[in-house]
Amino acid sequence: MYTLILLAGGSGSRMKKNMPKQYLLLAGKPVIMHILERIDRIKEIAEIVIVCTDEYIPLIRGMLVQYNVMVPVTFARAGDTRQASVKSGLKSVKTKNVILHEAARPFVSANDFIRLMREPCENVMYGTSIPFTVIRGHDTVEGVLDRSELVNVQLPQKFNTKILLEAHEKAEQEGRLFTEDAGLVFHYYPDINIKICEGMVYNIKLTTSMDFVVGEMIYKEYFVRRK
Amino acid sequence: MRTCVITGSGDGIGKAVAYALSKTDFFDSYALPGRNKPDILDTMKAMREASVEVQAEYYEIDFSKPEHIPQLIENIMKRFQNISCLLNIAGYTEPQSLLSTSLESFDYTYKVNVYSPFMMMKECTRYMKNSGGKIVNVASTAGMTPRPGWLSYASSKAAIISMSQTLTAELAEYGIKVYCVSPGRCATKLRKRLAPEEDPTTIMQPKDVAEVICRLVAPEEQCLDGQNIVIRKQV
Repeated sequence: MYTLILLAGGSGSRMKKNMPKQYLLLAGKPVIMHILERIDRIKEIAEIVIVCTDEYIPLIRGMLVQYNVMVPVTFARAGDTRQASVKSGLKSVKTKNVILHEAARPFVSANDFIRLMREPCENVMYGTSIPFTVIRGHDTVEGVLDRSELVNVQLPQKFNTKILLEAHEKAEQEGRLFTEDAGLVFHYYPDINIKICEGMVYNIKLTTSMDFVVGEMIYKEYFVRRK
Repeated sequence: MRTCVITGSGDGIGKAVAYALSKTDFFDSYALPGRNKPDILDTMKAMREASVEVQAEYYEIDFSKPEHIPQLIENIMKRFQNISCLLNIAGYTEPQSLLSTSLESFDYTYKVNVYSPFMMMKECTRYMKNSGGKIVNVASTAGMTPRPGWLSYASSKAAIISMSQTLTAELAEYGIKVYCVSPGRCATKLRKRLAPEEDPTTIMQPKDVAEVICRLVAPEEQCLDGQNIVIRKQV
């Protein structure tokens, strides 16, 4: 059985809206509920830990009732950084393995979660190849990165809870900041195998207003099309 | 346990559907909510005569009070632990022209014909969404073409046709199929209010509509959702 940590602490500042993007409506449904409803159908997930700011807990509780989400849900307080938020969520995890996901990625199917869980390796991430050229530099070109060596990191990810927690504790002690967890674990445990599974083209992260326009199309094409 | 909820089972199409379904093995149990208890008990008697094993229960509710529907569905879930099919068949009509139609009459028609099916679909979906299921809404050909003097009824049925199409797409993710049937002239009490001079023996009978609905809720039917299926029979 797994615990799923759902990161929902983002402020959505890039959206320039009154409310964080994870609570905005996509096809008439709050973004966060798209993913919570799908997780609710997965028997292997015993509990969800939603990491968010305190002010949104009543809102989420109301949505869980409205959408009749049955899987047990607890809340953890979001930190100042993404890394601190993951660590906050990890404190509540009792299962041996944990799945990390973020509320701003609503286009992950139940099968995508199940594929991750059934992967024999304990530490697994989804990734896609980079379809464009990436150059290093700021005002001037400083170098060319070989895109064949790069991977676009997607969530969800799966980890051994103990390893992930230990890696976070080490990072905290050293004051190091990472923007995602596969890189964090690899930094402290380079000998541990972290498998990369082929990610999904539709698994975009909603960041800007335009992503919501594209998101509506993804939702219709991949999630509500007639089967 | 596969439970089917049927509204409007006291007479007409609803009664014919309940009876026809009781002769199939599609469902293990039936919840028959409505206002007219004696008529629904008659339906249950007919169902048991058709199949001794049929498990059917009456639930009292007035569909002009859709606010009571969440409690109704909760009670049905407590009893059967499952809802796999919902048939919205109950209907009301008070055929009048625009200038004769009161706000109260219009509102009552919409409560029974639109708000109650909306609430039934909403509350049932809360429980059906993790296991899938089927919903059949009974609209009418009156919702498709102009019917002077039937303003509230015809427009309410147009709403049901549109709602069914929208929800076919919206609920597909849950594995819930939404069907809509629009019967033409059918010998029911409601039709008698719309066309009092008509000889009911010369038009389509409720059992004809019931046969179509039974085909839609049959497990093998997977292709006809999302359409407004017109049911007409030349007699």
